[in-house]
Formats: sequence, C-alpha cells, structure tokens
Amino acid sequence: MVTSTLVISVIVVVVLGMFLFGQINKSVVDSSQRSGAGEATADRLQIADALSPEADDQDKSVDGGKRGTGNLLDEVMNTVTGSGEGGARKRYDVLILNWTTPGHSRASGRIVPEDVPLGLRLSLQRNIREYKYEKVVQFIQPIRFRGESQPRLTYVVGGIVHLTTNGRTYEVYHFFPFDEEEELLSNVRLAIVVVGLGLVLLLAAIAYLVARQVVTPVRLARQAAERLASGKLDERLKVRGEDDLARLANSFNEMAANLTLKIHQLEELSQVQRQFVSDVSHELRTPLTTVRMAADLLYDAREDFEPMASRSAELMQAQLERFESMLADLLEISRYDAGAATLDLDPVDIRDVVLRAIGDSEALAERHATRFELRLPNEPCMAEIDNRRVERILRNLLFNAIEHGEGRDVVVTVGADRDAVAVAVRDHGIGLKAGEDTMVFDRFWRADPSRARTIGGTGLGLAISREDASLHGGWLQAWGQPGEGSQFRLTLPRNAGADLKGSPLSLVPPEIEMRRTWRTSMTPVLLPATGDGAVDDED
Amino acid sequence: MTRTRRLGLMAALAAAMVWMSTGCTVISMGGPYTVDNDDGGGDPLNKPFQRMIAIAPQPNWGPDDTIRGLQAAMAAYEDDPSILAEYLTPEARSKWTAGGPVTVIQDAFDVVLPPPRETGTTVKIMLKGHWAARINEDDSYTPTSAPWERPFELVKVGQGYRVSDLPPGLVLTESDVARAYRQTNLYYLSRHTQDRQVVDRVRLRLNTTESFAQTVLKRLLEPPTEALRGAVTSSFPSGTKIESIRSGEDRVVINLSGPLDPRDLSVAEALKGQIRNSLGRNEIAKGRSIEIQLDGETYSIDRPDTDDHWLDDDIGDTAYYVNTGAVRYLSKDGPGGVVAGAAGERREGYGHFAISAGATPLIAARTSTGISVAGLAPEGLWQEVIRGTDLTPPTWSRDGSLWTYDAKNGLLRYDPAKGRTASVEVPEELDRLDVTRFRIARDGVRVAVTIGPNTVQIGSITGGGAGMRLANLRLLTTTETGDEIHDIAWRDDEHLLVLVEGQAGQTLNEINVGDGETTGVPLKDRLESLAALQDRVLAEVRTKDGGVKLVELNQDRQTWADKINSEGGAPVFPLG
Repeated sequence: MVTSTLVISVIVVVVLGMFLFGQINKSVVDSSQRSGAGEATADRLQIADALSPEADDQDKSVDGGKRGTGNLLDEVMNTVTGSGEGGARKRYDVLILNWTTPGHSRASGRIVPEDVPLGLRLSLQRNIREYKYEKVVQFIQPIRFRGESQPRLTYVVGGIVHLTTNGRTYEVYHFFPFDEEEELLSNVRLAIVVVGLGLVLLLAAIAYLVARQVVTPVRLARQAAERLASGKLDERLKVRGEDDLARLANSFNEMAANLTLKIHQLEELSQVQRQFVSDVSHELRTPLTTVRMAADLLYDAREDFEPMASRSAELMQAQLERFESMLADLLEISRYDAGAATLDLDPVDIRDVVLRAIGDSEALAERHATRFELRLPNEPCMAEIDNRRVERILRNLLFNAIEHGEGRDVVVTVGADRDAVAVAVRDHGIGLKAGEDTMVFDRFWRADPSRARTIGGTGLGLAISREDASLHGGWLQAWGQPGEGSQFRLTLPRNAGADLKGSPLSLVPPEIEMRRTWRTSMTPVLLPATGDGAVDDED
Repeated sequence: MTRTRRLGLMAALAAAMVWMSTGCTVISMGGPYTVDNDDGGGDPLNKPFQRMIAIAPQPNWGPDDTIRGLQAAMAAYEDDPSILAEYLTPEARSKWTAGGPVTVIQDAFDVVLPPPRETGTTVKIMLKGHWAARINEDDSYTPTSAPWERPFELVKVGQGYRVSDLPPGLVLTESDVARAYRQTNLYYLSRHTQDRQVVDRVRLRLNTTESFAQTVLKRLLEPPTEALRGAVTSSFPSGTKIESIRSGEDRVVINLSGPLDPRDLSVAEALKGQIRNSLGRNEIAKGRSIEIQLDGETYSIDRPDTDDHWLDDDIGDTAYYVNTGAVRYLSKDGPGGVVAGAAGERREGYGHFAISAGATPLIAARTSTGISVAGLAPEGLWQEVIRGTDLTPPTWSRDGSLWTYDAKNGLLRYDPAKGRTASVEVPEELDRLDVTRFRIARDGVRVAVTIGPNTVQIGSITGGGAGMRLANLRLLTTTETGDEIHDIAWRDDEHLLVLVEGQAGQTLNEINVGDGETTGVPLKDRLESLAALQDRVLAEVRTKDGGVKLVELNQDRQTWADKINSEGGAPVFPLG
C-alpha cells in the first residue's frame, strides 16, 4: 500500500511539478519579453524622433546632419541609457550601429558589436535590404560579454530606425539581461522540487500510518488465531474503539470463547464416557469371573451333557473368552485414557520380537493358508522398547494382515537406521479405500461391517496398537489401496521418547512406489489406451 | 481508526489544502523585514555611460567620411585601438602615437578638401575647427580658445582611403569628452599643514573594464596634477595597489596591498579621508560604509555618518562688513554690532580688511604705510606688522600667517606667533610682473594672483618651513583689453569669483580653478567689492544717492537680495 501510494504520488507530483514549472517559466519569460520588446520599441521611436531633421531646430538642420546629428545621437543615447546628468540606470544596454555614416554608432556599458548574435544581425540586415524596417528580430541566448568570465542569458531585441529624410539606417540592439529571470526560475524549480519531495514523503508517511492502523489489528488477529489454533484457548484480542476492527476483535473473542466452551463440554463428555467404560469394565470383571468359573465347570462336564447342551457349553465358553478379551482391551484402553499406561523399557533386538509375534500368529496363518515372507536385516536392530507392548502391536498387525489378506502372502519387513527401527506388515487383500488409512485406528471401526469376523477381534486392537506406538514416541501408520492390499508400518525410535524425523521403511510398498514412478515418467503418447491393469500385468 | 479520528484527519487535510491554495494567491502581510541589498542605500560604484563605437573604414567612403571616421575611431581608441589602426597606412601606423595631451576641439569642425584638380592617389586635407581645451597627461583639463587646424594626408588604397600622415595624439570633440570623460575631484593632503585636504580636479576617462570607483582610486594613487605638484602629499605610500573593489550589502570593500603600516593610525585616518572624499564627492558610493582592507584584512572602516574634518576650516559662518572704517558683524536679519577692540572703532585710512580663522581671530587691514593687525577682542589694538607702501591687500592663511605681496620685496609672510615677517620665494617671472592681488584659498594651498588689471593666475604654496615657496603658477583667466579685474574672492576650495569691470558693464564669473569651467552670475547693481564663503556671496553696492548697501546672492544663484539697504560696506569672511 505504501509503495503503491509512493509510486502514484511521485508520478502525480512529477507531472504536476513539470506542468507548474512550465506555466511559471512561460509566464515569467513572456512577461519579460513583452516588457523588453515594449521598452525597445519606445526607445527606437525616441531615437527616430530625435534624429529626424523635422524635429530639429533650424541651427541643427543647417549642418546637414553631419555635425549636429552626432550630438543629437549623444543626447538621445543619454536619455535612452540613463547616462545623462541625473539619469537613472537602466536595466538593459543599447547598441546603435550605422555602418555608412562615420561617428554615428554608439553603445552603452560594455557592449561591443561582436556581442550581437550573428543570426540576429543577419536577419536585421536582410530586413534592411528588403526594406522591412518595421520588423523586429528577437533572440534569447547566452552571451559572454567583454570582461566577463561566464556567459549570461540575454534577451536581444534588434530593430531598425530608418530616417526617410536623409536615408540613414540605424541598427538598434537592446540587450536585456535574463539572469535575474533565470535565477528566479532556478529558485522556483528548486522550490517545486523540494515541495514535491516533501509532498511525496508526506503522502508516504500518511499511507504508512493509515496502513499501519489498518494492518496492525489484522496482524494481531492473525497471530491470535494462530495461537488459538495451536491450543492456547485463552488467547483473546484487545478491543479498542467501536470501528470494524473492534467488531472483528469482538467476534473473534466470542468465537474463541464458544470454541473453548464446546471443547470443554466435549472433553467432559469424553471423560464421562471413558470413565463409564472403565467403570463398566471393572464392574463386569467380578460377575464375569463367577460366570467364567461356572462356565468352565459346564465346559469341563460337557461330555456328560446332551449334544445340544454340550454345544451350548462350548459356545458359551467361546463367547466368554471373547468377552474376557474385549473386557481386557477395554481396560487397557481405559488405562491409556486415564494416562496410567507406562512403559517397561528394555533394549531388544526388534527382529526377535517380530519372530516371536510371527510364531504366535502361525497357527492362525495356517488356518487361513497364509504364508509369511520375512525380510529381516542381518544386523541386530536394537531398540529401547517395551517388549510386551511392541509384540502386541505386531501381533495385532499380523492378525489383521492374515484376516484381510485373503490367503495371500503376508510380507513382514524390518528396517533400521541410526535413529529408528521400523516394521512393515504388508498384505495383498482387498486393501483400504481412500481415507480409511486413518480410520482404521479408530475404536471399533470395521472396514466392512457385513464381513464375518473370523479372528474374533474386539475392534480395539489397532487403537490400542497406536496408543502403544505413541507411548514409545513412535508412529503407527497405514497405507492401502483397493485391490492392492495394505501395509502397516510401525516406526519406533531407538531411544524411547526421542523425536522421530523419519522412518527407515517406506509407508508405500516399494513395488507400488516403483510402479507410480514408472507411470509418471511414461508419456501419454506412448501409452494412450492402456489402463492400470495392463501395467500391472506387465509388472 | 475511529470515526472521530477519521473526521479529524479529513478536516486537517482540508485545512491544509485551503491553506496551500490561499498561500499561492495572497501575499502575506508582516514585517518589519531586514533587506540585504547588494547595491546598498547609497550610490553605486559605477555610473551609466555611453560610448562611441568606431566603424572600420568603408569602401564607399570618400576622404571626408574617412577623416570623420578616423576622428570617431580616436574617440573610441581607449576602448578599442584596433579600429583606428585600420584607418592608417602601415607607415603611419608605425609613426603615429596616441600619447601626449589630448586635443579637444569644438564639435563643429570642417574637413577642407583640396581643389578637385589636385585629386590623385594622395589627398592632403585640412581639419579645421576651434580649439576648446587640452587634456594633459596628468589628466588636468586646460580650457583654451583659439582657432585650430591640422593637416592630414590620405592615400587611396583599392577601394577607400587610408590616412598616411597625421599629427600625433588624439583629437576629440567636446561631445567625445563629455561622453567618455568625467570631471572628477581628487583629494590630497596639504603638505604644509597636513590637517586639510586639497581638491585636485581632473578629467578621467571611463573605462569599460573597471568600475568608475576603481578608475578614481587608481588615479588617486598617482601624483596630483602639475597645479598642485609639491604642494600636497598623499597618504598612500609609493607602491600601494588596489587589488579589488567590491560592493557588498551596505558597504564598499576596497582591498589594498602595499607598504601600509596598520599601526600608523594617523596615516589610516588620512587615507580614509582621501578615499571617502574622492569617492563620495564624486557621487560614488556616497552614503555607504567604506571598508578598507590591506591584503584582505580590515585596515580601516569609514562610516557614512562620521564627521569629516578634512575639509573643515574652523571659521563658522560669521560674516563681517566694514562701515565707515568700523568692522561690524552681519547678523541674519541685517546689521549687527561692531566687533570688539580697535577694529570696531571708526578709523580713517584702514581698508582692505581680512580676518583670520580660529576661536580668537585676528583682523588685518592695509594702511598707507603698511599692514596692521588687531585682535577681535576688547583689548585688541592696531599694530603695524608689515611696512610698505606698495603692498597687496592682506590675506590670511589657515596656518594663521598673514601674507601680502610687496612690489619691492616680493612675497611676505608674517607669523603672528613669532611676530616675524619673512619673505617667501616666488617664481622668477612673478617679480617682473605687476601683482595687484594675492589671495590664499581657505585650503591654505591654492593662491589666486591678479597680474596687472586683467589677468588672474592660480598657483600653490609648496614646501614647508623655510622651503615654502609659491609655485605652479598658471593662467586662469584674462579679460579683454580695456576690461579690468575689479575684485576676486574664493568661494570655496575650487571656485574663485572674479568681478570684472568692463566697458559694457560689470561681469561676475565663478571659475573652477581646476578646469577653468566658468559660470556667469547675473548682476543687478554695480558691485564695489565682494566676499564669499561656500554658498554665501556678499557684495558691496554703492547706491545712486551715494549710500552703500550690502547685497547677498540668493540660493538660486541668479538673483540678489538686499541685506543692508543703507550704511552697508565692504563684506568680509574669514580667510579666502
């Protein structure tokens, strides 16, 4: 805003300044020229009148103009130049030249015939040859007069005095110094430049002040919004005055207050829910234990029951186990919600943990005819982790992969770098739709509710896994595409709680990444009609 | 920004716009202002003047025009010598010189051409006119009145003529002199008393390359004219130069260089007075402060309001007249009382009174046996101090001495302080002449001497002490044969009144002793004697009924007014 105001004001001031200076220049020079030309005309008339024999008395005309005219010329020059007795100094000099009559040329001051501009003299002499005695020629140019070191701007008026009675012709030149006008205009120009500069600076200062008065509240509002967004819900704007910016600040403050209130309400509600779940879970444990003991008796004695009763006892046993598992998960997640979860850290080679988890999952894998493909590094991948929790994470990931892998191979990859270790579990099942890669970690989320749950998960496994990973300061992330399967990557810092800057393994499986790269580099001209399937086939 | 602040800002902007727009059209009132004026309040350093522009000889000019063109080129010679050279043949150019006195002739001169039958390549012509004056090499102007003619020789070269032979020196017309020269008074110190400045009148040529102030001061550094040579001195030591003269604010700054001693205050005072009067009394830088610098450092400052004692004669304006042998005061309204002492008593045989200057003046009178002196005090008695029967009327000098010319013993000087009379050396030729009057001017330097009945000479008293002498005598005016000089009186330092008794009646002329410039004063009555002091001119008139009245010249210098109708007498002013 300030820059644009500055640019516009500079343009306007320059244009106006040039126009103003042009007008003043024209006015001053025109006025001086008119005045000078008027004085020159009056002088020429006076000279012509004084030298005309008709105006002379009898004694002077007796000389035939030879002896008396010189005196007449002196007298009229005394009048014209102010050099006579009591004469006033004139602001200009006069040169009278008569090239035909001796002793009839005069000059005032230091003027010499060489001071007359050549063009002016030639024009005047042409006018004399052409009998154009009334024509006046004017010149404005710097002239360096005798005895002066610097040329001075001078307005020279050349005219002719022709005496018809004796045929004498006088060239009359008037030299008007224009140095005062030049100085005046120079001062005016300086004043215009200074005033213009001041005006531009003034406008810039005004623009800056106005911009500052408008922008500063907006900037404060932005900073407040940023702080609010970062969680500082107590952030408020100061309200000054009653203008639009004050109303904006008011609205912002109201919005922040409402937001804080809602967040508090939701937190409280969430707290109530978590407490409820925790309480219910705890309360259910005691009756469940009793039920479990009774069910164990019934299950152990099922051989003695009728087939129908025996089957019922088995079912009850199975559902009780699931109920216990669900209750355990609920209690676990309640601990997270309550902030009671703690880590039991030990330096562990992550490869061992992976192998143990695979070992626990092999039974299930066999049932789903799923094979594991292990990609483990040769070097130990030591990390400071809670062995139990990480093993539970991996177990969950493997169970999920088996369940959704549709019998295809599950690839387990372990990677490590200087700061972190990572385990990626890749299945080739139905994959994840867009957006589901974050929803999978929601509690009780199910990709396809119509699908039968074979493993009997509680719907809290991935949620708990993510909490476990976060407790280590690590990441648990998912990638998936419909038809391409999915991949879950667990990244853990080698030192628990250290900030992660990256993962040793890519979230997107390498073959998918390569395929993307290849597609991007191919031009559409080469493959105008081929679809993804064709590309996949080529892979 | 609140609405109130917005409104305030808009109001301020509107007020600024209104102020700016009104400021462009209305001249604000206020004051008082101090104006720095470079030209100052007094006279400028220069006077406007016009010059002759010489034209080179034209092919279509005949001998007449060529000679007139040559004369015009002589008038412009000081400004541009190159044009004059174009009129001369190479031989004439090598022989001719512009040096020497300048001949001034009247404007109406004739070029007398030879008869037509003598025309050939060489033309001898005669320039005829009336000799008006001569401007000497010391810049003094000597008026002359005589026919004048000089031969010129021209040769025809191609088209036009060139001058092959001409008399040396410049020939100017009176108009040329009036155009290019200015009458200028220079002021030097009286050699004898050193307390009075003496005016020296010169004609200075205007110079286009310097200001007139510079021209005047440059001339002031040079010796005075021959008329004052040896009679006056200058406070400028030899070798003094004028480095610059510039005009700034309300002062004129003159920068000198040379062997001036800044510690010698008497020299600084005299130098300041010389500069002040030589500029101010020629209407240059009058009324402006003059700062004199020596090599750029302030040497002395002369302020326009300071008293100038260098031209003060300490005689006041008291006038006296002599009625039936008794000296009386002349009051503003007419007759006053008699003076104290013997001079106020009627006494036969005493005449041609002269009164000295000072607080206790002395009066001198010529008697049949000599010159007597009395004090103008109650105890003042006549005492004969110079004996002689052929003495000129006594005259007092400003140094207090009494002077008279004795036809037998020459010039005599009586010193009242020593009570001794000594003779003063005079030019040898004066002893052979009939000196009828001897009057010392109030500056104590110039002297007017009438020789016989019809010649006035001007001289000056040179030297001092035992070396004092009358010198530099030169003719001032002479009357026509038959006319007789009746009386003379010094009006001021440079003007002498000369009353001439002619066959056609009396004439009274006021003559500038510097350049002979003469102004006639109209007379109504026949004057017996006269006395003058500055602007006052008193004269004794004998009425038809045998009475004596005293008349005074009015300020218009044209008419006379009766001062004392009857029982008047010969007027007397101190000195002069």
